[in-house]
Amino acid sequence: MSSRSAISPSRRLRIERVPSPSRSATAVVSALSFVLALLCGGIILFLAGENPIQIYGSMFSGALGDWNGVAETLVKTTPLLLAGLGVAVAFRMQLWNIGAEGQLYLGAIFATGVALFLIPGAPGWVMVPIIVVASLLGGGLWGLIPGALRAWFGASEIITSLMLNYVAILFSEYLVHGPWRDPQAFGFPGTPSLPASAWLPNWGATRVHLGLFFGLIAALVLWVMLRRTRWGYEIGVMGENPRAALYAGMPTKRTIVLVMALSGALAGLAGMSEVAGIGHQLQRNLSPGYGYAAIIVAWLARLHPLGAVLVAFLLAALTVGGDQIQMSLGLPAAIAPMLQGTILFFLLGGDVLTRYRITRVPGT
Amino acid sequence: MLRRNLGVVLSVLFLIGGLATSFTSVTAQEATPAGEPFKVGFVYVSSVGDLGWTYAHDQGRIALEEAFPNIETGYQENVPENPADAERVIRQFAQDGYDLIFTTSFGYMDPTINVAADFPDTTFIHISGFKTAENVGTGFGKIEEPRFVSGQLAGAMTETNQIGYVAAFPIPEVIRGINAFTLGVREVNPEATVRVVWTNTWFNPQQERAAAEALLDSGADVIAQHQDTPGPQQAAEDRGVYGIGYNADMSPLAPNAVLTSAIWNWGPYYIDIAERVMNGTWESEQYWGGWQDGVVDMAPVADFVPEEIRTAIEEEVARFKSGEENIYTIFTGPIADQTGTVRVPEGQAMTDEELLSMDWFVEGVEGEIPS
Amino acid sequence: MEHIRAPNSLELGPGMKDRHPITHHPSPITPPSHHPVTPSPAVAMRGISKRFGSVVANDRVDFEASWGEVHALVGENGAGKSTLMSILAGLYRPDSGEVEIDGAPARLRSPRDAIARGIGMVYQHFMLVEPFTVTENVVLGEQRSGVDLELGRVERELAGLSEKYGLGIDPRARIWQLSVGEQQRVEILRLLYLGARILVFDEPTAVLTPQEARSLLQTLRGMAAQGFSVVFISHKLDEVLEVADRISVLRRGEIVATTRPAETDRRTLARLMVGRELAEVVEQPASEPHEPVAQGDAVLEVRGLYALGEKGLPALRGIDLDVRTGETLGIAGVAGNGQRELAETVTGLRSVTDGSLRIDGKELTNRPAAEIARAGVAHIPEDRLATGLIGGMDLSENAILRGYARPPLCSGPFLASKAVASFTDRLIADHDVKTPGRWAKLRTLSGGNQQKLLLGRELAGEPRLIVAVHPTRGVDVGATEAIHQALRDQRARGAAILLISEDLDELLALSDRIVVLFDGRVMGAMPASGADPEEIGLLMAGIGNRESEVGTRV
Repeated sequence: MSSRSAISPSRRLRIERVPSPSRSATAVVSALSFVLALLCGGIILFLAGENPIQIYGSMFSGALGDWNGVAETLVKTTPLLLAGLGVAVAFRMQLWNIGAEGQLYLGAIFATGVALFLIPGAPGWVMVPIIVVASLLGGGLWGLIPGALRAWFGASEIITSLMLNYVAILFSEYLVHGPWRDPQAFGFPGTPSLPASAWLPNWGATRVHLGLFFGLIAALVLWVMLRRTRWGYEIGVMGENPRAALYAGMPTKRTIVLVMALSGALAGLAGMSEVAGIGHQLQRNLSPGYGYAAIIVAWLARLHPLGAVLVAFLLAALTVGGDQIQMSLGLPAAIAPMLQGTILFFLLGGDVLTRYRITRVPGT
Repeated sequence: MLRRNLGVVLSVLFLIGGLATSFTSVTAQEATPAGEPFKVGFVYVSSVGDLGWTYAHDQGRIALEEAFPNIETGYQENVPENPADAERVIRQFAQDGYDLIFTTSFGYMDPTINVAADFPDTTFIHISGFKTAENVGTGFGKIEEPRFVSGQLAGAMTETNQIGYVAAFPIPEVIRGINAFTLGVREVNPEATVRVVWTNTWFNPQQERAAAEALLDSGADVIAQHQDTPGPQQAAEDRGVYGIGYNADMSPLAPNAVLTSAIWNWGPYYIDIAERVMNGTWESEQYWGGWQDGVVDMAPVADFVPEEIRTAIEEEVARFKSGEENIYTIFTGPIADQTGTVRVPEGQAMTDEELLSMDWFVEGVEGEIPS
Repeated sequence: MEHIRAPNSLELGPGMKDRHPITHHPSPITPPSHHPVTPSPAVAMRGISKRFGSVVANDRVDFEASWGEVHALVGENGAGKSTLMSILAGLYRPDSGEVEIDGAPARLRSPRDAIARGIGMVYQHFMLVEPFTVTENVVLGEQRSGVDLELGRVERELAGLSEKYGLGIDPRARIWQLSVGEQQRVEILRLLYLGARILVFDEPTAVLTPQEARSLLQTLRGMAAQGFSVVFISHKLDEVLEVADRISVLRRGEIVATTRPAETDRRTLARLMVGRELAEVVEQPASEPHEPVAQGDAVLEVRGLYALGEKGLPALRGIDLDVRTGETLGIAGVAGNGQRELAETVTGLRSVTDGSLRIDGKELTNRPAAEIARAGVAHIPEDRLATGLIGGMDLSENAILRGYARPPLCSGPFLASKAVASFTDRLIADHDVKTPGRWAKLRTLSGGNQQKLLLGRELAGEPRLIVAVHPTRGVDVGATEAIHQALRDQRARGAAILLISEDLDELLALSDRIVVLFDGRVMGAMPASGADPEEIGLLMAGIGNRESEVGTRV
């Protein structure tokens, strides 16, 4: 309906949204995408003179072949899950929060600050709940800022949340190089170790820690919240049709701010769980991009909280398994990210195919 | 819907994985030789092709493998320095039965300590850190010695009396190197200054190069670096000025710029450690080797350097190799800091502790240490 | 905005009293000025029919436009003007009928075919890339240039065309620097560059200020004088009478008259546009039993209401009206005269810039939509899928949109799923919504069933005031009847109803009183029983007794 179409070509391909993709089609396409990805990756490996079956086997055994592998996969699942849940809840409302990385750092900074300087002597049953709350506040604050800018000034949360990532990461660098640096560490960056009461308990001898439990609880709570509560319903309506939300008199601006804060809070919890569960100190390189991988988690999970549990686990398995390629086969480390990329590419591509279809439009 | 969908995906994953594992286990059994080899693992922070830090370590690994027929080595590149990933990889090496594991970046310190606690029969060497345990030693080299000599060369070659220094992080290791270099520069050329730019990255070719270009724009005509890529040297090459490389001999990548490089030579050290661990004589130690020990060195001085300068530098190199000079002679007073205050009194040498926690710049350095 | 001209005469002209107005078939107009005489008409459309589903947009339409003439196409919204011109522009293909261009049969399968035959269309919304220059925008659309963009050549050519036709456009200007009127001329320039000789304009003055509109009309005359064939769609009768050589009136998909300005006047055109035969209209309200309901106090009181429209221009200019309990107030008017803004301000979706709004005596000016809804206001919005419903959600999620925050649909922060289910099932049953179940996605329902669900939801709380905007638009006959019945029942119950519609039959059938909006003002008001459709039509066209307007409170 534009003057431009007055001179557009007579036939073209159009991508249409499929009204409601069937469940079986979705499942079949996802499975097929995965198999295709493995095949495609296999062909590339084969052409490069490697044995694809051996490589896949080594990935599988690394990630899930023994208890240690499973435990390590679960360790990796934890931050992906928490940050992924945060991203998913914002995306539900069409709030494109890509600041999970920074929110994660803020959560870590708040938790560390509280544990080291505010209540260093507190016993574990006081300490852990308080640093959990601190991390929720820290991440939540970092999500709230772009949320408020969006709600009241119409500033794109994509840009503001992304920019705040750099602020957060550089702030944490400043802390670990500067005021919070461990005086015992000969000037090396990194805070002192957290008091042992702040260390999240582990599951047996593995590195799996309480953070995973937080993630699973958060997934469950979010699922119930989105399905069963008024607030979840409001988020859904605002995401699907903002005008209808206005029509129904829903408090759009307040909800934008709160959802962004919730989104950030979950990422902040991920930061806390990395500090208190794994490193036991705030240091450089806290996150190798969990906040960005979280976007993939949320998207592949179709923004479904329980789906995020499975997707986070799958992505974690791909990463953990990927290490194995070089370690046990001596092949270049770049093979692992290449295969991960291929698999994600096919899964997301397949996802598009189930949600959209391409049709030929004879003369619009 | 989603659960089912992913269920399918996961079952496919399990199926394929299961098939493949059974396949590999067969081949693995066939491949395993009868005698138990001594397995040495290396955890690398970047790729072996970086022509910098990791490349130098990998040269050491290759030397080790060639030195002993019954040694088998394995390595993992690009291991992030965050605790979750680093510890997983180190643990995996330990679990896979490696007898000796070198973790070659500072960020692996705590993960190494953590894993070591669970694998008392495995020996760990952490490069560049300070924490040790019964089965964890540390290893590092006094790269300040070749840096000092390369500083003398830079001081002799500069015409603008401005030398640029692209530096990664404001940590003692880097600060010490800058100070040693600057003391070398000022010994031969008291007029010259060394300007420092921080990149906050060990490994980022573009960023390192951009930092070097900024220094060149401000008038520097020699570029030194504490970075893991040859980016700064290539920037110098393109501008037709000089550079001082680091980690490995960088002259092949910037033949008209590189005057020399302060280099690591890990092979002899790795061989020594492995030998001692194999015959059971190794005990936890903090190794800090010098030029005399061979763990650090300086690449040959470029042939376009005037004969008399080259000769003088080569004589200086000989004094370090013989042990006549060393890091303590470099850091012997009087040494003033940037404000002109004498920090090390005349005739007094700095202690190891002072050196290892150095957090101030000597006179002649332009730049700040963020705190 | 004083473009209401006093009618030439209050009486109908000769021949205009006939049931069927005379269709003029004038001899081909000699092209003015230098255009070589072409015997064939520029455009001849014969027997064009086009239907969309059950809606007949064009019914065996014959339409001709000559070289050198400005031919106006007038009619109410939905009369089929845009469809007809979209067929000419190659956007739609007719179900039957033929198009000849300059005497030769033309198969217009696409906009490209149309432009190849010299037909170019200027729409209301321009598709120009703002940061680009005029030349770059023209080249964007040009596909024959291939890879080799000779911007300099195009720029010279555009400058020449602009000069020749007095468009006054600098090809190097960037679009964002240009006014709306200038951007429109860029569209014209682009079509000229592409070789268009037949120019079609879809309500070109709707987006312009009066000054810009005047200048455009001069441009159109100029184009015709140069031999172009100019067709323009409008429902502004003043400008049509001023600029057109011929005027064709479309009503309900049919051409009901083709005439010349000298042979007609505003009244006649207005009657032709709105017009149904008098007898027919008089009968209509009588056929609908309209039991009187005891009318009580005013539920809605609107005083001196001002509001801005989408483009930031005043859309409501001092509206006064009351709606009492048990009363249906119908709002008539040609689309775009403030109806939408009225509905939105009353329901709290649009802010009031001046004036006041009370419901049951309670001051609710510029209060949030939620508060107004709580005061007992139901809203059946103009575009149900864009505003009142959520296509991607299921029926129960749509059913609770109004009441989810109050018991029994919720308890505390949780939704009460059992209550939600039974509430939805009851809505589906009570309003005969045809659906596989409450879990079905709303989008899968037909328009009529969507509307019945919406209506049911809005009426569920026994509202005090119902604002219904085009409640039966795009809805089949059966659903229309059900919706009408529901509104009558509500009136009988004692609800106040503000009914906005462009369907005069609907208004007359359901309303107690009718108010005509024109240009954001109340143009006139009358009781619905015995209302004269012709008078309503004139009021809708902006012709009214000015005296009756002054101080009218309706």
